[in-house]
Amino acid sequence: MSRVVVIGAGLAGLVAANRLAEVGVQVVLLHKGLGGLQLGQGTIDVFGYAPERVFNPIKAVGSVATTHPYTAIGGKAVLTGLDYLKKLLPELLLGDPESNYQLPTAVGAIRPTCLAQPSMIAGHVTDGAKLVIVGIRGLKDFQPQLIAENLARTPLPDGGRLRARHLWVDVPARDGEIDSSGLTYARAFDDEDFRVRFAKAVVDQLREDEIVGLPAVLGLKDLHAWRDLAGKLAHRVFEIPLPPPSVPGLRLTEALTARALAAGVRIVPGVRTVRYASSGDRVTSVTTAAGLGGRGYAADAFLLATGGFESGALNLDSHQVVRETLFDLPLAGLDQTPLIHGEYWGPEQPLFKVGVAVNPKMQAVDAAGIPVFANLYAAGGIIAGASGWTEKSGDGIALASAIVAAAAISKELA
Amino acid sequence: MNSEGLEFAGHALSRASLDSCVKCTICETQCPVAAVTPLFTGPKFVGPQAERFRDGESVDHSLDYCSSCGICTLVCPQGVQIAELNSQARAVMKADHMPLRDRLIGQTVLMGTLMTPVAPLARAVLNNKPLRKVMEVVVGVHADAPMPPPQSQTFESWFAKRATPAGPFPRGAVVFFHGCAGGYFEVETSKKSVEVLERLGFEVLVPKQGCCGLAQQSNGLFKQASASVLKLCDDLRSAGKDLTIISSSGSCTGMLKHEASEIMGVEDERLRDVGTRTRDIMEFLLDLHEAGELPTDFAPVEMTVPYHAPCQLKSQGIGKPALEVLRLIPGLTVVDSNATCCGIAGTYGLKKEKYEVAQAVGKPLFDMVKATSSELALCDTETCRWQIEQSSGVKTEHPIWMIHKAYGLS
Amino acid sequence: MRDVAMRGFSTVLVERADLGQGTTGRFHGLLHSGGRYVVSDPESARECASENEILTRIQAGAIESTGGYFVTCPGDDPTFADKFLAGAANTGVWAREVSVAEALRNEPRLNPGISRAIEVRDGTVDGWKLVWGAANSARHYGAQILTYHRVTKIETEAGRVTAVRCTSLRSGEEVLIECDFVLNCAGPWAGQIAAMAGAHPVEVVPGRGIMIAMNHRLVNRVVNRCIYPADGDILVPAHTVSIIGTTDVKVDDPDNLAIEAHEVQQMLDAGEVLIPGFRNSRALHAWAGARPLIKDDRVAVSDTRHMSRGMAVIDHTTRDGLDGMLTIGGGKLTTYRLMAEHIVDAMCDKRGEHRDCRTDAEPVPGSESGRTHLVSDRLHDREHDRFDEQIICECELMSRKMFTDALASQPAGSFDDLRRQLRLGMGPCQGGFCSVRATGIALDAGHLDSERANGLLRLFLKNRWIGLWPILYGDQVRQTALDNWIFQGTLDVEHLPQPTSEVVL
Repeated sequence: MSRVVVIGAGLAGLVAANRLAEVGVQVVLLHKGLGGLQLGQGTIDVFGYAPERVFNPIKAVGSVATTHPYTAIGGKAVLTGLDYLKKLLPELLLGDPESNYQLPTAVGAIRPTCLAQPSMIAGHVTDGAKLVIVGIRGLKDFQPQLIAENLARTPLPDGGRLRARHLWVDVPARDGEIDSSGLTYARAFDDEDFRVRFAKAVVDQLREDEIVGLPAVLGLKDLHAWRDLAGKLAHRVFEIPLPPPSVPGLRLTEALTARALAAGVRIVPGVRTVRYASSGDRVTSVTTAAGLGGRGYAADAFLLATGGFESGALNLDSHQVVRETLFDLPLAGLDQTPLIHGEYWGPEQPLFKVGVAVNPKMQAVDAAGIPVFANLYAAGGIIAGASGWTEKSGDGIALASAIVAAAAISKELA
Repeated sequence: MNSEGLEFAGHALSRASLDSCVKCTICETQCPVAAVTPLFTGPKFVGPQAERFRDGESVDHSLDYCSSCGICTLVCPQGVQIAELNSQARAVMKADHMPLRDRLIGQTVLMGTLMTPVAPLARAVLNNKPLRKVMEVVVGVHADAPMPPPQSQTFESWFAKRATPAGPFPRGAVVFFHGCAGGYFEVETSKKSVEVLERLGFEVLVPKQGCCGLAQQSNGLFKQASASVLKLCDDLRSAGKDLTIISSSGSCTGMLKHEASEIMGVEDERLRDVGTRTRDIMEFLLDLHEAGELPTDFAPVEMTVPYHAPCQLKSQGIGKPALEVLRLIPGLTVVDSNATCCGIAGTYGLKKEKYEVAQAVGKPLFDMVKATSSELALCDTETCRWQIEQSSGVKTEHPIWMIHKAYGLS
Repeated sequence: MRDVAMRGFSTVLVERADLGQGTTGRFHGLLHSGGRYVVSDPESARECASENEILTRIQAGAIESTGGYFVTCPGDDPTFADKFLAGAANTGVWAREVSVAEALRNEPRLNPGISRAIEVRDGTVDGWKLVWGAANSARHYGAQILTYHRVTKIETEAGRVTAVRCTSLRSGEEVLIECDFVLNCAGPWAGQIAAMAGAHPVEVVPGRGIMIAMNHRLVNRVVNRCIYPADGDILVPAHTVSIIGTTDVKVDDPDNLAIEAHEVQQMLDAGEVLIPGFRNSRALHAWAGARPLIKDDRVAVSDTRHMSRGMAVIDHTTRDGLDGMLTIGGGKLTTYRLMAEHIVDAMCDKRGEHRDCRTDAEPVPGSESGRTHLVSDRLHDREHDRFDEQIICECELMSRKMFTDALASQPAGSFDDLRRQLRLGMGPCQGGFCSVRATGIALDAGHLDSERANGLLRLFLKNRWIGLWPILYGDQVRQTALDNWIFQGTLDVEHLPQPTSEVVL
């Protein structure tokens, strides 16, 4: 049986592991810590700004520059990936590749995204909508007045305006606790008694026809908690994603991880992969820093899905040298100097577009386009050429590159 | 600055690792104690965040709610040694006024040795509620806390007295490290482990051996713990060079493989030698299987059993080898608990003031166990087994019992 | 101003920005024991030692009595330590040689190759707490403080100062202050102020120095290199960070202080000598300050009773035929009180009055107990009040009440004005998690509308970046990436409604 080692358990790693296990490959998924999926907003961004606001994300994918990862990845893989996720996680992701949702953020901006969680989509901004943003005193990351006032004075993306007001309720997540994380609230919302109490505290303050905007803490394990709450409030309800800990992100992580385990992926958490061994043009094994001796994992193919600078997969040292920290792969984008500039509200920082270059099979390649190792592939944030948070494209790149990599690997191993 | 708690390189390393914290909150989302009580501010807070405010002294006493389960370090994507930082800060906090109880609980060998010859009496005391209540008041161990069950005969005594197996041993020799629980309390698990290894063709050597020091370390007695673990290394090395050291004691294995070095900063050639040769028994079996060397002529076992991977096994960074090996047994359905922690965290859940928290931490696990099987649950470490059994009412044994049974040895 | 007010004069302070936003807030954080000068400048050493003691008594709340070491590093002249000890004995600066083993035990990160170690009584000081302590004391004595007011002209009549004209940068309002004396303490900007009175050009040469704060206290005592004073020879534990510095480059414009890449590398190298592995530590934030060096051959050099070491006083009467103004420059932060005493003495002399200085005797508001600050103070406080108050800036353990109290006392303040009082955004995440919370709370408190709230948030993040991008590497790059994922990725902050004009104050 063929074996593949996937390094990294973010969106790219988890999707690739699932895809490979589904076609009978033995997958070992090594990861240092929990992935970035639970830090993000729990939606799947394909293309948000190019740099103008994007309404049709799949169309924008087709119009990118040649240095952009979507060129190597291709729009077809994006569509396959979106379709795959919707089928794999039907209770968690909805959307249309040709039409972005435009959703409120936790500062009151309006943000495009392609697939969103059902609990969020009632917030899709529409002309004439009346929103009431409800803040919870124990949750400091959700500031409803800021959100409501900003939404109210923003012309909507396709014209029109909405109305928004705010209110506060004081319902502690736990007895005596005044400073609760979003996760603590999410666990509380899993409990029906809590939902009853919460609804009681809010319902009389709602006006007819208002859509209720709440922080994205409406349940963690119970994916229907938000619907139940909406029922109790007799109003439409939507969640707004928060900074970490991201409850919608946690939902996605747990669902994808559970699918991977069920498909037979061996997940080895908590280990940094520190070195590799190769023979000729193939990687033969990688070693993790488990205990004093470390542990080796041999495989037929390897997928590097270790993320970008945020995870330490790419590192800028104090001498201003950038390296990919496991395989020391050649990097693209280093010629855009200076890599860091002083205009905070100015153009993208070139540093964050530095990464590993890939060919259309997602093999890591050098400056001449030659694969560095025949059996080493790359997916996700480690790929050069895009600033995921600026464009709102990180999820799409991760998802689609994982689809391509998994397909290329299984074809190679067949 | 307290000289007792902090004179080691380990602290310098853990403290340096706080620089890697980007405040992402991932550790907080996984902490089993923060999930059940607001009294604990969480690993990010007491670890890399509070450490910037410490100059030797620990003024934040709520950090004592940390159970040292190690899940935070395991899930941190940046490599912050959170659990290690917390353990070290606790060691400093307690250095000046270590409660008597923490000294007693740490002396597990002593406890075991004292309890064994008078086992029936000891058992009677341990199960006697009024006496336990007295213990709770005097020593601080909660009246309902799961205490180790004393046995009539130690493992080393059994091993020495039994008829030596004839051999041959085509696979060579291995060293068996039984740990205090495996030596004094859970002797049956050690016996079964030896028998399985012998069935696989290994000659099992059991040198006289002491305590790994884990209980002392988790209670902040770093000096004693370091001495214990190095003495153990001498014991295990005495059996022979380059031999694989196998243990069924998940937490003690973790101590040798990484904790003594990462939490206490013990840097010694003997520890390095022993730590690199040590394998958890299920890990060892999985390695054999990957190499095609594990006989899979298991008899079917028609059962559904819950399996819980203890924190100290997870933090060894080897995944959950028991799951894969158990799933080779035909007819057996093994259900992973997916629970973070059983709550005992070594000796944490024994303590009077932590007992309720520990029970709350373990509740999702106890519920899962009860819902999956009323007959048997499997778990790799002894204190977790005692906790699960006590709180779920389901008999809980080491996975090797199932292997032993499937090989027809019981 | 405190001295002036305490001596019974009616006084107004005019400051173009926030208090201490000039050189005072951009210094190293060091409360000198005097050790640094025992060989190179014994008079300074004496003054520092004496003022150190006084400040620790009167401004305890701003000071942490960390103690310090002077260490001889590999490659340093080992005999300098002997000169040091002799100089210390000579100047009355407390110093005691300790064994290298003891030094390494107390400071495990120190270079194990050090050959000698001398203990001194260095302390560290929070520059903003220092100035606000003095300011609050002055207010208590009736002084008025006008921050964010820019002086536009100093009116004179018949060779005397009569008034100061200034403009409020917040409201645009013009303010006229009638006065008969001006004390020009504008540091590197002193030349510009003197010009506004029509004085001959005063040559002030700003000496730029950079400092880098490392993310945690690599040492808990001040660590100085036991050599003749040089660049990057001090590492100072200040609050939760340790600060390496500094350089000394003559520049032209104190409003344009660049943080040069080669100087950053120089400071990292300097840190590596004191602390092996320094470069692998996390550089958190950098800034540049300008020493106010007055190079003027018309300085009243002979008038030494009005001089503190390194301090220069320009008497405009003799020099410019202008009565009622004194300009002061130079000096060091540790001796600020003594400098003030000297210049106010000089003013009294010019007025033909005698009034005693009492600034050394009376503690400033907030320091009455004499208890110096400990780094663990906030950890202790939050342990006790976390069930009453949310923690808004988690990195620096700032509670919600601390924030709302500061807001109430400065309702028109920017988040940086508040930051200087609170340390909001000064920890590892550099505002990543706390900025939006603070914005929401400020809006909720009713002092501003959402447009200004957005503007303040934008300004805060922009200002943080000034001190981040020159030292961005390693762990701080990861932090920046995560912060970007939050601000842009999740919050889409850059697509908030466009401001009609950016908030700058």
